[in-house]
Amino acid sequence: MTSKTLTNANEFDPNNFEKGDSLWDKAWYKFKRDRMGKTGAFIVLVYFIIALGVWFGIWGGAWSDTSDDLWQGPSMQHLFGTNVIGSDVLTRVIYSTKVAFEVGFIVAVLSTVLGAILGSLSGYFSGTWVDSVILWLMGVLDSIPFYLFVAAVAFALKENPFAMHIAMIATFWTGTARVVRGEVIKLKGQEFVEAAKSIGVTETNIIFKHIMPNTSHILLVQSTIAFVAAIKSEVILSFLGLGVKDGVSWGLMISESTQDVLAGHFNNFLSSSVFLFVLVIAFNMFSDSMQDALDPKKVS
Amino acid sequence: MKIIIKPIIALALCLMLVACNNSESTDTTEKPAKKENNRYPGKKVYYHSMDGTPTTADPVRAATVYTNFLVLNEFDTLYSYKYLKRPYELKTNLATAMPQVSDDGLTYTITIKKGVKFHDNKAFEGGKGREVLASDFVYSLKRHFDKKFKSQGAWLFSGRIVGLDDWKKQGSDYSQTIQGLQALDDYTIQIKLIEPYPQLIYTLAMGFTALVPHEAVEFYGDEFGSNPVGSGPFILQSFNQEKAIYFANPDFRQEPLDLAFEGYEESIHEFTGIKELKGKSPPFIDVMEVHFIKESSSRWNSFTKGNEIQFTTVPKEQSNSVIMTKKPLKLYPQITDNYHHMYMVEAGFVYSGFDMINPTFGNNGNPEHDAKNKALRCAIRKGFNWDQRNRAFYFGLGTVFPGVITPAVMEFDPTMSKDAISLDIEGAKILLKEANWNADNLPELKYHTSGNVTNRLFYEQFRGFLKKIGYPVNKIKYNPYPSFGAFNKALKNGKTPFFSLAWGLDYPDAENTLQLFYGPNKSPGSNNFNYQNPQFDALFEKAKIMQPSHERTVLYQELNQMVIDDCVVISGLSRNKIYLWHHDVIMYPDREILGGFFARYVDVKE
Repeated sequence: MTSKTLTNANEFDPNNFEKGDSLWDKAWYKFKRDRMGKTGAFIVLVYFIIALGVWFGIWGGAWSDTSDDLWQGPSMQHLFGTNVIGSDVLTRVIYSTKVAFEVGFIVAVLSTVLGAILGSLSGYFSGTWVDSVILWLMGVLDSIPFYLFVAAVAFALKENPFAMHIAMIATFWTGTARVVRGEVIKLKGQEFVEAAKSIGVTETNIIFKHIMPNTSHILLVQSTIAFVAAIKSEVILSFLGLGVKDGVSWGLMISESTQDVLAGHFNNFLSSSVFLFVLVIAFNMFSDSMQDALDPKKVS
Repeated sequence: MKIIIKPIIALALCLMLVACNNSESTDTTEKPAKKENNRYPGKKVYYHSMDGTPTTADPVRAATVYTNFLVLNEFDTLYSYKYLKRPYELKTNLATAMPQVSDDGLTYTITIKKGVKFHDNKAFEGGKGREVLASDFVYSLKRHFDKKFKSQGAWLFSGRIVGLDDWKKQGSDYSQTIQGLQALDDYTIQIKLIEPYPQLIYTLAMGFTALVPHEAVEFYGDEFGSNPVGSGPFILQSFNQEKAIYFANPDFRQEPLDLAFEGYEESIHEFTGIKELKGKSPPFIDVMEVHFIKESSSRWNSFTKGNEIQFTTVPKEQSNSVIMTKKPLKLYPQITDNYHHMYMVEAGFVYSGFDMINPTFGNNGNPEHDAKNKALRCAIRKGFNWDQRNRAFYFGLGTVFPGVITPAVMEFDPTMSKDAISLDIEGAKILLKEANWNADNLPELKYHTSGNVTNRLFYEQFRGFLKKIGYPVNKIKYNPYPSFGAFNKALKNGKTPFFSLAWGLDYPDAENTLQLFYGPNKSPGSNNFNYQNPQFDALFEKAKIMQPSHERTVLYQELNQMVIDDCVVISGLSRNKIYLWHHDVIMYPDREILGGFFARYVDVKE
């Protein structure tokens, strides 16, 4: 990338770009100058490192241990105190970070992929029966209240540890698909698609090799939105007893803290709530910044 | 960002305000407000509370403590328990004397009091309650064997009374006489048993056997459960999901309170003020409101407010603000200054058990497999930390005991070996190693239970226990059910290799818990363990027909030891309750075996 100078540190100036700069160059340039976005990204990175530490067994492994120290306040031994069964709250909060990232990542990737594929098909074949079927499916899924749908899926797949994930993926993809559909309808009339058609590229290749890559900026933003929505939903579902079953999560910790709070013990509640709150805020900041940076109307 | 920060600050301020408000409402240091009796001017009113809601007041469905409370105050039973005597002791209620039992223990003859009337009700001719007769008892018991009433208490008499089961098979025709269940005249009942059933007399003090008039059952039909008509000390005026309102029965028989007979001891009962009631005939109050408040914090707030409910149990989350020391049990002065209190161990227990015909933890007939699984069950039991369970969930005040003979019954042996309830992590590990169990071949353990926060915490704690003996955490799964009914269905269908339950005694006799292991009672009967031990069954059959005696106690204890030796159950803990009630109420409450019987003796200072 060529070096650029800013007229104002916080303002984007299109004149700083050369004609050949891609959308990604411009987005990166803009993102680098968004302090809120960078702060959000940094916090998300810290959480990610915490989650990685749990994955690699560096910390958080004792989340299921119990002890004689029931309902202890913060101390050097237990920085965030203990819960009613003597488990270390900090360890559980840290382990829950991994759970949140697992849920967020799985749901974000799969719902985005599904949304991208179906949205592209719907957009490319707009006005045909393919489009009608996919639009009908999206309409049906969107019309079912989310938590009722999850409860039904959880009940139907009660032996499946991924019941919650499946329910989220089955509902989150529709948002991505709608946005992608609109973008594809716009793209399919452009010259590069006409050119591909004229040299005999198959429709499958046109959709997946020529059009879909041009929606990647949308997919990136949508995946961050799905990621944070999945984390929030997991917390709510676990609180309601429909989410994580065998492990621990912030939602479960909040659920378990209902009796703690009445008894005047806030360790569980505050720790899990604050961890969740900070991650969600940070992810929102990061996501907003990405949206701004990747919005072609603002950077081209 | 400013847009985000402002609502956060506003939310935080709101939360702080709410927190301040809560702290005021639960402050127990303040004197409770004086109750103003505007709804019932000139009447003595007692406001009781319960932590669950009964769905009916029909005796045939009196399976819960909540329904039983309603039933025992609306209806009469033949016998009841002495108000203050512990261990519990039976006394006459509607019967004139204890039953005459034939030498072979098969025929019981009981006479009932003359002149006792059912409450006035439009179900009767002219609206006036008629006299209670022996035939009403016969009718009431027959109802349990009439499928249209969906009895929950038929199991108490099934296979016990001559001709009763056949009567059901023949279509429950009330005009037919049953050989073993007859009214010899208006005031004499005769029960003939197929085999001796010493516990029969206890069943005659249960809500299930309360006397109902056939006129009211026929008049109200399916609505009888919400329009009960009995002859008890109170008359139910209204009953819904929130509360039941009783008025005293003005025609209740005059039976002056005999303190010595009821078990009054100055050192134990003086604080209650019950002495003042000596020689007076119950009921002593005019109105009783029973409030059903499931939510413990709401119940606590209502109680401490002072002018609402006058009785509560102490919720677990309030233990820190109520209990000053646990050994010995002392409550904070702000509690003892404002309220009467008492501490009571339940007549029941909590336990976890294994399904013995499920090869996961039970037997499959292969001696090697069975021995290996026995070692596994015993190791799990050794790893169970009762002390932690007790402190985390029962104030640390529960009574932990080995086996299934609870401290509430006479047959309990306090000198019994404590091995079965002692934590022995090393011993558990050795057992597993000797039986060739390791992290790879240990079976998946699913913790079956009805899904709620407390049960989940039970599971998490149990998982922590097992982790310490080397059980892989990823093999211990939580298997919640949406309701107790769904869990019970799975239990009865043999889908729960490991389960956790509680059992409340129906009567103060160890037979009531030992029958949980009797082979013929296997699922869907009460033997959820599906324990099949011919030696146990033979000994149980011998003991169950014996009258209370030292010899029977010895047999009971042998049976108890068999269950312990086979590691069928991880048991047990009898929970505790701390009862609190306002100073202006004179009573000695008990929701265990005595159930609702105590309410007739409640008085309120004016």
